[in-house]
Amino acid sequence: MSLAADAFVSQMAAAEPWPENATLYQPLKEDQILLSDCASSLAVQAYLRMCDLPVQVVCKANAEYMSPSGKIPFIHVGNQVVSELGPIVQFTKAKGHSLSDGLDDVQRAEMKAYMELVNNMLLTAELYIQWCDDATAAEISRPRYSSPYSWPLSNILAYQKQWEVRRKMNAIGWGGKTLEQVYEDVSQCCQALSQRLGTQPYFFNKQPTELDALVFGHLFTILTTRLTSTELAERIKSYSNLLSFCRRIEQSYFESKRVSPLKD
Amino acid sequence: SHTVHASLDPLPMQGPELGVQADDIEAPEIEQEPKQEVLENKDVVVQRVHVDGLGRTKEDLLTYEIAEVFRAKNLIDVMRKSHEARQKLLRLGIFRKVEVVIDTSRGTDALPNGLDVTFEVTELRRMTGSYNTMVGNNEGSMVLGLKLPNVLGRAEKLTFQFSYGTKETSYGLSFFKPQPGHFERNISLNVYKVTGQFPWSSLRETDRGVSAELSFPVWKTNQTLKWEGVWRELGCLARTASFAVREESGHSLKSSLSHAMVIDTRNSSILPRKGGLLKIHQELAGYTGGDASFLKEDFEIQLNKTLFWDSVLSASLWGGLLLPIGDKPTSIADRFYLGGPTSIRGFSMYSMGPQSEGDYLGGEAYWAGGLHLYTPLPFRPGRGGFGDLFRTHFFLNAGNLCNLNYGEGPQAHLKKLAECIRWSYGLGIVLRLGNIARLELNYCIPMGVQSGDRICDGVQFGAGIRFL
Repeated sequence: MSLAADAFVSQMAAAEPWPENATLYQPLKEDQILLSDCASSLAVQAYLRMCDLPVQVVCKANAEYMSPSGKIPFIHVGNQVVSELGPIVQFTKAKGHSLSDGLDDVQRAEMKAYMELVNNMLLTAELYIQWCDDATAAEISRPRYSSPYSWPLSNILAYQKQWEVRRKMNAIGWGGKTLEQVYEDVSQCCQALSQRLGTQPYFFNKQPTELDALVFGHLFTILTTRLTSTELAERIKSYSNLLSFCRRIEQSYFESKRVSPLKD
Repeated sequence: SHTVHASLDPLPMQGPELGVQADDIEAPEIEQEPKQEVLENKDVVVQRVHVDGLGRTKEDLLTYEIAEVFRAKNLIDVMRKSHEARQKLLRLGIFRKVEVVIDTSRGTDALPNGLDVTFEVTELRRMTGSYNTMVGNNEGSMVLGLKLPNVLGRAEKLTFQFSYGTKETSYGLSFFKPQPGHFERNISLNVYKVTGQFPWSSLRETDRGVSAELSFPVWKTNQTLKWEGVWRELGCLARTASFAVREESGHSLKSSLSHAMVIDTRNSSILPRKGGLLKIHQELAGYTGGDASFLKEDFEIQLNKTLFWDSVLSASLWGGLLLPIGDKPTSIADRFYLGGPTSIRGFSMYSMGPQSEGDYLGGEAYWAGGLHLYTPLPFRPGRGGFGDLFRTHFFLNAGNLCNLNYGEGPQAHLKKLAECIRWSYGLGIVLRLGNIARLELNYCIPMGVQSGDRICDGVQFGAGIRFL
């Protein structure tokens, strides 16, 4: 979002308190949603639960097209529509809810850096595996992505999306990578996260921040999603502190109120 | 697009631009030999009828059109039938010029009262380009066209069009083939992409489609059967679009069969003086694939009568119903819209009925009626020339647009359409543009305005081809 749009949204947001009927939109859980979108959506849900802001999750087949930026998830709060974790964090901050207020400037910069790492590595790896690996694309991604539509629109949209993602991968230099290299990248990212986490409960000691929500969203989703191979999940499982981190957040924020989001 | 107008075909594809207009019948052009005998009341026999100047046109196509001439029995008859045959040849849309030459028979087998009729034709060029400005319903556009008339020799026509307008950008390819000998029976295949922007709904729509259309006359009516497959993409026109419109964003596929019947006895489609029009159209979507599933019916009736002093009384009635089949709700792209200088005057364009945060969502049922009195301009300035293109009119429009509540019966729906009727009256000036469009400048007084409707009281300007 541009600076002007940012300021505008903040001004509008500050005016009203968080309503009871805030809604989060994502694609259909059973048949349609893909790993990367599920991870992003879970990250936002975790963040909002950490802030203690109630939100209802609604699944719609056209959620991706409803979103103002074209990305999942987006929230409908009052008469505002905000998409993606970054802008949503800004939005809640403008309403007076924040998880990173207690951090000093150095920590905040560190948090931003790690969030960038997760987005550049984990999210990109998820997209790569979904769309650039032929087996996964054919068996899982294309069928799921096109499930709400009838032929031939289903094929057109699925191949269009695949072409778009592959083009983006080439643009950022991931086009030439092999699956092994991508798994390696994921491992290295997990190692960095694991080292930063250490034995602390959350990344910035006692209180969770948006970074925790983001990492949880991605790791938990990878661990609980069926792919063509279990390689990706295995790489994460080798870091036990990350596993217990995921378990901890699931228990604190999801199981206490309802059943884990991915078992619905 | 929102279907108070017809379909998404860029321009009407059937038939050529050179049509016979009932109110401008020309005198036949007939060349005759300088040395002639007076043959009016003498019986003649038409021995030869042929066509000169054919290039790529196949002869068998023309035999049907000129066959009647053989049956003429006297010279007047020959002249009349030749004229009719000439009009038939022209309406094929493959000749630039057709001239008739009637001569006495020559040659060894010539009878004393024998005649030779020759049609001297000039074929249209293989490819023609065109540039037009088009007036749709309150929008203007620039249309570039490329036409290949008579592409395979039997009056088939291949057309490519590109249209750039204030609200829409589109392009399309169309192939038209008439049945030899029965020009009114024809088939048309189209491929198109149309983009539209609809600020009254904060909606943007892109349609990519194919269609096949079969047209044929049955007694006095013209029937059309059509299959259409459209990939529709809807999106918000602005970030401030209402959430109701945002919820309709995305892709869908519509595969539908439709049927239309038209009976048109008017002397002209713009400012008719007499006759009537009945148009009934139905569309069934979902049974040939696709995501959209509905039954849509709409009709249009118009009656005209010339009164004393060269004035014309005209009454029209429109109505439509959209019934979803199955549990999916109807799409904003299929619903009806009402209001504006071409339907209920005095209201803003399509700004009536169900709405959310200022965006009009359309309705599943509507009716609209109009009563007009057209008179020549007072004092008849420029009579016989320019002034004849203008008319003053006094009008009364009324109508309603609403959604259906499934679960209630038809009684409840009729009651709903009868409540909260919007209506308006006023007067204005109408200008006729050829035989295609008309412009109106009216002073309108809207009444029965419901909360949420947007009005345009006072002076309103309208341009289009289909007016209530």
